[in-house]
Amino acid sequence: MADFRIPGAGRVNHGKPVQFTFNGKTITGLEGDTVASALLANGVHLVGRSFKYHRPRGILSAGSEEPNALLGVDHGPARVEPNNRATVVEVTQGLKTISQNHWPSLERDIGAINDVLYMLFTAGFYYKTFMWPKSFWNKVYEPIIRGTAGLGKPPVEPDPDTYSSRFAHCDVLVVGSGPAGLAAALAAGRSGAKVFLVDEQTELGGSLLSETDASINGMSGWAWLKASVDELAGMDNVTLLPRTTAIGYYHQNFVGLCQRITDHLSSAPQGAPRERMWKIRAKQVVLAQGAIEKPLVFDGNDRPGVMLASAARTYLNRYGVKVGNSPVVVTSHDSAWLAAFDLARAGVKVQAIIDVRKAVPTDLKATAESLGIEVLAGWTVTGTKGRLRVSSVRAKPIDGGSEQAREFACDALLMGGGWTPSLHLFSHTQGKLEWREDAQTFLPAKHVESSRCAGAGNGEFGLANALQQGAAAGQAAAADAGFSGSGASYEIAGEIALGGTTLRELPTDRNTATAKAFVDFQNDVTAKDIRLAVREGFKSIEHVKRYTTTGMATDQGKTSNINGLLIASDAVQRPAPQVGLTTFRPPYTPTTFGAFAGYNRGRLFDVTRKTPIDSWAEEQGAVFEPVSLWRRAWYFPKPGEDMHAAVARECKATRDSLGIFDASTLGKIEIVGPDAAEFLNRMYTNPWTKLQPGRTRYGVLLGEDGFIRDDGVIGRLSTDRFHVTTTTGGAARVLNMMEDYLQTEFPDLKVWLTSTTEQWAVIAVNGPNSRNLIAPLVEGIDLSEEAFPHMSIAEGKIAGVPTRLFRMSFTGERGYEINVPARYGRAIWEKLMAEGQRYGITPYGTETMHVLRAEKGYIIVGQDTDGTLTPDDAGLGWAIGKAKPDFVGKRSLSRPDMLKTDRKQLVGLLTEDPKTVLEEGAQIVLDPNQAVPMKMVGHVTSSYWSVALNRSIALAVIEGGNGRMGETVHIPMPSGTLRAKVTGTVFYDPENTRLSA
Amino acid sequence: MLLIHCPYCDATRPEVEFAYGGQAHIARPLDPSSTTDEQWRDHLYIRVNPRGIHAERWRHIHGCGRFFNAIRDTVSDKFVTTYKAGEPRPELTEKEGAR
Amino acid sequence: MRQEEHPLIGRSLDMPHAPATIRPVEDAARFNLRISPDNLAEASAAWGAILPARIGELASSPGRLAACIGPDEWFLIAPLEEQGAIEAAFSALYAKTIHSLVDVGHREVGIAIEGPAAADVLQSCIAFEVGAMAMNEARRTIIDRVPIILFREAQERFRIEVWHSFSDHVWHLLAGICREYELGV
Repeated sequence: MADFRIPGAGRVNHGKPVQFTFNGKTITGLEGDTVASALLANGVHLVGRSFKYHRPRGILSAGSEEPNALLGVDHGPARVEPNNRATVVEVTQGLKTISQNHWPSLERDIGAINDVLYMLFTAGFYYKTFMWPKSFWNKVYEPIIRGTAGLGKPPVEPDPDTYSSRFAHCDVLVVGSGPAGLAAALAAGRSGAKVFLVDEQTELGGSLLSETDASINGMSGWAWLKASVDELAGMDNVTLLPRTTAIGYYHQNFVGLCQRITDHLSSAPQGAPRERMWKIRAKQVVLAQGAIEKPLVFDGNDRPGVMLASAARTYLNRYGVKVGNSPVVVTSHDSAWLAAFDLARAGVKVQAIIDVRKAVPTDLKATAESLGIEVLAGWTVTGTKGRLRVSSVRAKPIDGGSEQAREFACDALLMGGGWTPSLHLFSHTQGKLEWREDAQTFLPAKHVESSRCAGAGNGEFGLANALQQGAAAGQAAAADAGFSGSGASYEIAGEIALGGTTLRELPTDRNTATAKAFVDFQNDVTAKDIRLAVREGFKSIEHVKRYTTTGMATDQGKTSNINGLLIASDAVQRPAPQVGLTTFRPPYTPTTFGAFAGYNRGRLFDVTRKTPIDSWAEEQGAVFEPVSLWRRAWYFPKPGEDMHAAVARECKATRDSLGIFDASTLGKIEIVGPDAAEFLNRMYTNPWTKLQPGRTRYGVLLGEDGFIRDDGVIGRLSTDRFHVTTTTGGAARVLNMMEDYLQTEFPDLKVWLTSTTEQWAVIAVNGPNSRNLIAPLVEGIDLSEEAFPHMSIAEGKIAGVPTRLFRMSFTGERGYEINVPARYGRAIWEKLMAEGQRYGITPYGTETMHVLRAEKGYIIVGQDTDGTLTPDDAGLGWAIGKAKPDFVGKRSLSRPDMLKTDRKQLVGLLTEDPKTVLEEGAQIVLDPNQAVPMKMVGHVTSSYWSVALNRSIALAVIEGGNGRMGETVHIPMPSGTLRAKVTGTVFYDPENTRLSA
Repeated sequence: MLLIHCPYCDATRPEVEFAYGGQAHIARPLDPSSTTDEQWRDHLYIRVNPRGIHAERWRHIHGCGRFFNAIRDTVSDKFVTTYKAGEPRPELTEKEGAR
Repeated sequence: MRQEEHPLIGRSLDMPHAPATIRPVEDAARFNLRISPDNLAEASAAWGAILPARIGELASSPGRLAACIGPDEWFLIAPLEEQGAIEAAFSALYAKTIHSLVDVGHREVGIAIEGPAAADVLQSCIAFEVGAMAMNEARRTIIDRVPIILFREAQERFRIEVWHSFSDHVWHLLAGICREYELGV
């Protein structure tokens, strides 16, 4: 393989070769290489196929703005990621990389037929091509488009890595560690301010890493860089974060940083996170992000070997790699000349510098001539040749005829179209931009956050400007954060003044309608596409962007936005600032989902709340279901049982003898104070004043709109103390609502609320033997029917542990809810299990609880209600204290809409075929023969197989349901229409005899 | 993530500690039964939706637990000021109002 | 028969080189006290030590912690054997000064975070500036979506009080972060 590495040159470690593969071929790079620099060192330019036309593509840039060189990377088992930019991936021993978007091979790709059919695939071709016939939309076009869309292949295995996150606070955050950023960090750091300096590259230094000409304060650029980084590293108040990309800039100087920790290591220590998302809050931010070189737009500007001049300079000076042996340079700016000079000095035969400007600086011209480089000023490039690599370039004088055109053979074409300041983070803050006509670019104007821009990112090109402005910004930022320091001045030598002009497409004598002059390389958008979009009526840059997809690829148009804007502005014949720039959005560069997830993967994906009895249920092989953040035992299958069998057994055991249920997740609120009863009067529909200590009542809580929000049993422990229970999912919401009313509407009430949800473990024992079970264990409470009837509460002890004992039932059977302090929950449960063996005690889960309560018509708020049901709608009108002057939601209950008789009301349903269990959520119609779409009058809210009744039962809400008792309604299902009879909601023991059985 | 100044803690804390509570200064009628259907409807459902300065309720739910009021700019999302529940809506200076 | 348990009983971290470690703290009696700040003197008398007046202040006395966490709210921690006496003292106070004292001893689990990197470990998942907390400061806040009370008892010692159903999540989160610090990455 050809060797383009210059021995000893650059900042790579020539003593440390690193082997990796590209499309299965072993490539040798050096420590410090990116995949791109290592490939170029081996003479490889062709690295991929373009998105739409499958054109061969090479490496355009040397940084994160790269639109072309996207590779799949494989860091080892399951560590596979598509669409990594070769220009930022560091080489590691054993790394595997593959090119994308081709079949069967990179060199021979069937998809390249699209390139031949170029004229078909113009802007908006999706909308134009796939219109007819309509029947093809779903079955033909979409599968084809989906099959060809996208780049790379997603990983198929779970990501084995861990990810981390960290909040941080600092006085001054400096983004970018080029000369401006370094000067800013030095100034701020020396003042004593807490400074973070972050840079996306592997090494701090930015453009200095590619700069070999200039000297700073008498030192070479690299010597000054080392001294500066050493000084910063020695400061306790400074944190240096290389390999860290500032991806988003949010309100109040909150900046997201993604730090890459292990990808560049050939082996990472166990437990080390792959990436860390920093969430940093800075008092002041200095943005020193630099600028990105613009490509020139001309026919064939995308062939492998055509690259940015600054990138060629970086590969040479930083990585010691010649990008070719006979390059041609085409430019409109001085800066590209520097690449030509450096290459020539390294012994490369630079064929020519083609500058579109007629007048080029004389000193540059003299240097070029002294290096033996031909200079063609006032010339343009009109085309390139070469299938898999550029082989020649056609140039001609801008003012001359076609006969004066010359063809240069070359193996690389370096282009420089000027510089685009990186405004991305500044734009995230909604900072105002201003168009600079002379530089033909937008610059930061009005800052919204406490931020400053410095250096090339602020339009200040040149080393001297960057250092001075960086130092001033760092000093001012530190001062605004409360730290004073003196400024620094920098003596620069050897720098060349940088000027240039900005063009749209390069002038050409050829047919522009067939030219493939690319603006957006990643999305394959040409200048012709943009002009066509404007001709077809798209005038706004946001519309042009979406129609042509320019700037919409994963690089967010870092190299293409300004070229696209200038061409669009020319086409609509309006000045660029009036056409405007499209919106930059976070993240600045593609960021892994893992980094965003941080710690929240696997076990920590979300909080899983467990009750004190959960571990027992797990040991018994319970099947769990999530209920809000809790996991609850769903049912307890015995060997060989399915869910249906387990639930049937649990239901029967509870009704026949004794069931035990973990109700610990119920929300609990302790309400204390002399106005506790009055507070409940105002909050709940029910009256509370006359409830005696030792008694409980079922309470219904409405929103102010009159709709049911929550329910639960409330016990009065003493005159001034209530124990309120809420639904499992409603606990936090109800407490918040109560606090809201207490603090803002009823501040006159002397009452306090405390959440006790987790203070108590709650064990519900239900069934005819429930009293027999607990009676021997309970101390200090008379359990007789007279002293402790249904709906009672008392404090005492059970098995030697303090308890708040409720007599209540959510099953229709005699029942007790034993509250014990949480630490005792499991012990008391086990004690009850042991003592209950003689009654065949059976643990049951939430499914059996649901069946048993549905047999009794007890509602579950949120299942049988949906935020549109009033107490009357739900059959709870009896729970309204009609004599009370007011309670939350009372006024709404007399609004005209609430009094209508055709409101949806909760009813029971019995299917005509008793074996059919309806589907929850199924829609109900009155006339099954009506035309589709049918009028739906309600839906099934709860539906179960009832063991007690040996048939199915269901609850449903139906328009005017209370007036339809005995009527038949219809439930259309895919397999046919089912019939059911409307009934009351109580299916089992309507006389409530079993509550005291 | 916004920073919010809690007037009860007299401390500026991160947004995750707070919960939004809707438009501020909507007093529940002392006697809802005496309101007309239209008045009650307005109390329940009619809210301003300004582009710019908005008085709204927040709760320092994972802090001191207090509901308080805030003046916030719905365009920039920024808080202009916060004040305790029960205090009148502050007069904004021209400068604050213009933000 | 196990009499008492909570999710973190018996847990420990086997990371001898970590610059910060976590452990479950010895169990204690805990109360949520709500009382008008006008009656703080009476409340302090019942508690047996001065209760702090400013939100965020933490007063410690042997075996006891009292944190003011709201304008009229205090979180109290005391040795288990003092539970009865404290309840009795406040019960006696109620007759002349109304208030709310609620036993929340079983609601919470305590986790200690200790070591030179203790503040850094917490900072990984807490949005406010943990290092800027004063000694003897206590705040309710959020750690990775979990509500907690965070106490700073010393330069290198913090305590988290968290509802028991959340404690397993917080434990594993902090354990992973301690490991990160042990690796120094």
